[in-house]
Amino acid sequence: MEDANFIIRFLNWLMSFDRKVLILAASAIGAGLAMIAGIGPGIGQGYAAGKGAEAVGMNPKAGKQATMVMLLGAAVAETSGILALVVALILLFGNPIITQEGAVLVLAASAIGAGISMITGVGPGIGQGYAAGKGAEAAARRPQYQSNIIRAMLLGQAVAQSTGIYALIIALVLMFANPLIKLM
Amino acid sequence: MEPITGKALILACSAIGAGLAMIAGIGPGIGQGFAAGKGAESVGRQPEAQGDIVRTMLLGCAVAESTGIYGLVIALILLFANPLVRLL
Repeated sequence: MEDANFIIRFLNWLMSFDRKVLILAASAIGAGLAMIAGIGPGIGQGYAAGKGAEAVGMNPKAGKQATMVMLLGAAVAETSGILALVVALILLFGNPIITQEGAVLVLAASAIGAGISMITGVGPGIGQGYAAGKGAEAAARRPQYQSNIIRAMLLGQAVAQSTGIYALIIALVLMFANPLIKLM
Repeated sequence: MEPITGKALILACSAIGAGLAMIAGIGPGIGQGFAAGKGAESVGRQPEAQGDIVRTMLLGCAVAESTGIYGLVIALILLFANPLVRLL
């Protein structure tokens, strides 16, 4: 019972603030949570850069091809970071939640939930970076098959992006077309 | 000051829970990226087997996708067909 009392006291303390204050505070937390996604592209592109350096060292004659594959793959790996950045910027500069009607607790929690959802970007970021690194390695080994290697790499990266897109959809639903408000 | 209703609390927690469910997507993202990397490596080694390599890679990716889909389904249920508010 002690714990339950604490939660109720906490919620009462939350509700003692103005409606706008609560939603804006939650949006700030949500924007921060969304940017955690940056871990993924960071790790992935770092791996790709390392593999690219290794590939150029292995076959300096194919350095151009390997670097090109690495940059292309790293650009794809950046996608999740950009999507998270967009959600964070929407929460900060074009906050759609502040004007919505409905229970303030649900709206504030939706802002946090949208941010948490975007953390998913870690996965595609790491995975696509790994693909970029392996692509650079393969291009250095067989530069004449660069286009085939790029095709296989991009196809796999597109599949790896899918969960990031799901997360983006959930975040956008929570921000722009919140179905929970209608349940109140 | 709005009063706290039980329903609001459940719906608020549902919003956070939907976000948490989507974190599951990290796994398929990493795994499928690994598969894509190995696929690109294999095509570079045996370009004539490109079709077979890509087919196996996509099959594996489809299996790796499953947990991400589970997370998405739970998030969509929490948002659009919330079973918890009906229990009140």
